[in-house]
Amino acid sequence: MGGEPPPAEGTNVEGESPDAEPTVETDDATITDDAELERTLGLSGGLAIGIGTMIGAGIFVFPGLAAGQAGPAAAGSFAIGAVVALLVALPTSELATAMPKSGGGYYFISRALGTLAGAVVGLSLWFGLVFATAFYLVGFGYYAVDTLAELGIAVGDGLVIPIALLFGAGFTVLNVTGTENAAKLQNGIVALLLSILVAFLGYGGLDAVGLVGESAAPEQFAPFGTLPILTTAALVFTSYLGFAQVATVAGEMKDPGRNLPLAMVGSVLAVGILYVVTIFVATSAFGSETLAGFGETAMVEVGRHYLGAAGAFAIVFGGLLATMSSANASILSTSRAIYAVSRDALLPKRASRINLRYGTPHVALGLAGGPILVLTATGRVELLAEVASFLHLIMYGLICVALIALRRNEPEWYDPDFRVPGYPVVPALGAIASFAMIGFMQPTSQLVGVGIMLTTAGWYVYYARDVNLRGEL
Amino acid sequence: MTRVLVPLAVLKGQSVSPGLETLLEPVDVTVLGYHELPEQTPPDQARIQYEVRATKALEDLVERFKASGGEADHRLVFTHDREQTIDRIATETRADAYTIPGASGQIERVLVTLTGDVAVDRICSFVGDLVGPREIGVTLFLATDDEASGRELLEAAAETLSAREIDVRTELAVDRPPFEALLETGVDHDAIVVGKRAPSLRSLLFGEEAERIAVESVAPVLVVRNIDVDETATAGGTEGEGL
Repeated sequence: MGGEPPPAEGTNVEGESPDAEPTVETDDATITDDAELERTLGLSGGLAIGIGTMIGAGIFVFPGLAAGQAGPAAAGSFAIGAVVALLVALPTSELATAMPKSGGGYYFISRALGTLAGAVVGLSLWFGLVFATAFYLVGFGYYAVDTLAELGIAVGDGLVIPIALLFGAGFTVLNVTGTENAAKLQNGIVALLLSILVAFLGYGGLDAVGLVGESAAPEQFAPFGTLPILTTAALVFTSYLGFAQVATVAGEMKDPGRNLPLAMVGSVLAVGILYVVTIFVATSAFGSETLAGFGETAMVEVGRHYLGAAGAFAIVFGGLLATMSSANASILSTSRAIYAVSRDALLPKRASRINLRYGTPHVALGLAGGPILVLTATGRVELLAEVASFLHLIMYGLICVALIALRRNEPEWYDPDFRVPGYPVVPALGAIASFAMIGFMQPTSQLVGVGIMLTTAGWYVYYARDVNLRGEL
Repeated sequence: MTRVLVPLAVLKGQSVSPGLETLLEPVDVTVLGYHELPEQTPPDQARIQYEVRATKALEDLVERFKASGGEADHRLVFTHDREQTIDRIATETRADAYTIPGASGQIERVLVTLTGDVAVDRICSFVGDLVGPREIGVTLFLATDDEASGRELLEAAAETLSAREIDVRTELAVDRPPFEALLETGVDHDAIVVGKRAPSLRSLLFGEEAERIAVESVAPVLVVRNIDVDETATAGGTEGEGL
């Protein structure tokens, strides 16, 4: 098991210091001076977090939007996204096995690149997750309305946002008060979803290549040229944000040297393949223009096309589950992101208080839920998705930079169980691809993203200038 | 030396009843203070907030055990999964048994159940070490539908304990529901000793039998571990749950 970075030091404006307890990591627990922290998550739990967070967006929200922008070549956009995600997942795996602590990307960057980079990433990640959760919730709202429509209750799109808000508030409250083991439920939901999708895509795929059913009219693969493939890749990258969430629970993962890389790389591969097949099946069923006309819930029409009412219902049901599981998993990650920065005195320590009654971090969950509801109320699906991707991509790029920085001058404590194959090409490509992806976003998203980063940098200068997280390397 | 693990939800105010404290006098004790957290909460977050308080409570308990005789130490664990933690610490400390706290005053008679597929020899030798030459009686209980071989098993077990100058009675329940028969017999006993059993469909549905006995009888329960089985199971368990 890896060693440990030197302890963080210094104080913030309120005189709080980072929590610098020396620890020893074993496969089963983290051992501190006076206590032990049990590692309880297995490989299946890690995969469920990764896949459960990702799958909602890529399959159930984006196909219509993506096909509208890039045509059938949207499948290529998803493939590009998968390659970029993989290029980042590998370096993230190495860092996570070297530092199996909660906090994920934020922790690696703050320890390798210093407090400023850490503060910007850590606080931006909070907002990035808030944007992502709002996006999932709006997607959920669309599916809820469609579910009602399938049941014969037409309420119209006007109810999308109110429903999204209601459930957003509901998930936040449930996370504060709920003490049942929802992880098992999440595992079950992910397994159910995967079976629905594999069955559906299997049939649809056979149909699409012309083995069953009648063949559809062929359409030009990239009707709008290559640039839209790249801009669409930037938009749909939100479908790959989940793998780094696995790293945020690295401190709770059993046998992290083995399970972390498997969970991260495995979940990216699994959803990447599903996404590409989904787009292929969807664009084979309808022309991309028709598909775009169906909007966020285009997959329901695809389901109806292949399997009739039963297919439509399966997709509506799957979409509800998937967007719900994405939203819920992201709320949990947000609260962990807040905890990670407040432990290092970049936010007041009050933010990570937990209550003895439920044992839950109510302050951090509130700091997640509040902004999520505000953003959900805007209902701007594409903007929410792109800003979420923007803030995550900054982190991904810096994770790759952090890996290169650590490897170039390897400190004594750095001893990962998993090493990136193809160093330095893979992390260098990962960094370049992540930052390049940002360049293909809409200007509004870029402005919002840069604004948030500047704000977090300003907060660092005001609040935590004297905190030193990197220590002496 | 015989060692007993005493897991306590220390931040929920769980403590050791005077009877259990006395019962454990002759053995070494590891007090396992645990705090079980919902998955929303990283264990480290709870540690920062509660470590000092929990450690203080544990140190007080260890003092009590030391004052009454045997060796004692403590571990403090923040976890999402209580059972996994108890298993791990029990294996690491090579504990022969662990306790489920209950209410009890002075302990006069202990009920020991040998029902089911349990390691009878281990249980008897543990009970022998625990009770020793003290003024505590032991009732051996067995529920079975095979009266002859059941009686044989009970007699043999009783003999090994009598040889250690322990006052032994036996109780055979034939063709009765084992769980209810045990509880009925348990009424005039002050603590119950059971053997650890392999997980079954029944334990998956209704919870572990030892836990159910503890809840229904309110008495402290001591679960004797089957060390050989536990050791190999844990070695396999660290490989992760797989898919």
